[in-house]
Amino acid sequence: MNVMRGRWMAAAFGPLALTLLNACAVTGVGVDETVGVDYDAGYYEPWGYDYGGWGYGYRVGPGRGGDRRRDDGDRHGNGDHSRSYRPAPAWRPTPSIPRGPRGR
Amino acid sequence: MSSSIPRHRRFLPQCSSALLLSLICLSTLRAASFELPPLNSPASTEHHVGKVVWADLVTPDLGAAERFYGGLFGWTFQTIHTGKSDYAVALVNGRPVGGLFQKAIPAGEHRQSAWLTFVAVRDVDSVKRAALAQGAKVVSDSKSYPSRGRQAVLSDPEGAVFAILASSSGDPPDFLAASGEWIWSSLLARNPGAEAAFYQQVLSYDVFDLASDDGLEHVILSSDDFARASVNAMPGDPARRHAHWLNFIRVDNTVDMVAKVTAMGGRVLVEPHVDRHGGQVAVVADPAGAPIGLMEWTNSDSKVEPK
Repeated sequence: MNVMRGRWMAAAFGPLALTLLNACAVTGVGVDETVGVDYDAGYYEPWGYDYGGWGYGYRVGPGRGGDRRRDDGDRHGNGDHSRSYRPAPAWRPTPSIPRGPRGR
Repeated sequence: MSSSIPRHRRFLPQCSSALLLSLICLSTLRAASFELPPLNSPASTEHHVGKVVWADLVTPDLGAAERFYGGLFGWTFQTIHTGKSDYAVALVNGRPVGGLFQKAIPAGEHRQSAWLTFVAVRDVDSVKRAALAQGAKVVSDSKSYPSRGRQAVLSDPEGAVFAILASSSGDPPDFLAASGEWIWSSLLARNPGAEAAFYQQVLSYDVFDLASDDGLEHVILSSDDFARASVNAMPGDPARRHAHWLNFIRVDNTVDMVAKVTAMGGRVLVEPHVDRHGGQVAVVADPAGAPIGLMEWTNSDSKVEPK
């Protein structure tokens, strides 16, 4: 009878333990606490800010390539814009978006 | 006594019970993981650091958002309900282009629905460390999702929120977006120069400073010799504005699309006008208030100077 019970336990709980281990590896439980089990990337912006006001000449889109670069002599109307980034060399044309067809 | 029972009759119930238990356990635990679709199918080893590869909308009403975006762009949806998350993958011609994520706005808070911009990186945790060193903050810490990869949500030094994503299936190849797909992204900021420096430091962009007719600063962020996004000075009173990313969907006719938006309960934030590439752009808000850009792009190589 004890032999029977032992076989039962082994047959029932052996695979169960293996399954638990496997599932834990799949979901990351106990392996990596930064595996997402729920999605939490959603972010709400603050409320009550103005939008729009894009006046004449206000452009945010890409060009067709080779768009005119800013000269050092350009004057900007909203304060000092001394460059804090490294601008691409002047000889490099301003790039555009990818234009090739899908699956090229 | 046990020897009197035939061997197969003893093991059949044992094996059946074990199998049943295993299946119950496995299904319970598998259901706990949140499965997003891979960015690339079939997977590739192609990577484009700095490219905008995904966008997620956070909205209080998933059904209303599906009706709006489905009606506007012809998107179809694949809904994922897991644990506390209600999420719909938006598809264009069967290809996933973004996600709609339902999340309740906490009681007593007045918040603005928004699209979250995902930028491709190779290593989320090292980019996160570099960003934090340059003044960014963590909005949602690094997490891995099966099939998708690893991602984190950050806010840049001016507070514009964006996500970084290291795709485990590679990044989508570079091609011209089809109608209904994302074609462009813009960051609107108080100090575009400082913001461009931040993104250059963290994501190694090439930065092209553009001549402008409006007296405001505009720059292009580039990688792999393609323009990936623009950084633009926000017009108007900076105190009444906050820095944010804005993503544009390619449309065939901006004016017609704007009319459709208003008919479907959305609002126009920026009226259609000709932009740098010679096509019309506009900015609209969906019924929950999330801003989204619309952009025409003709296949013609001839550049039409904006008037």
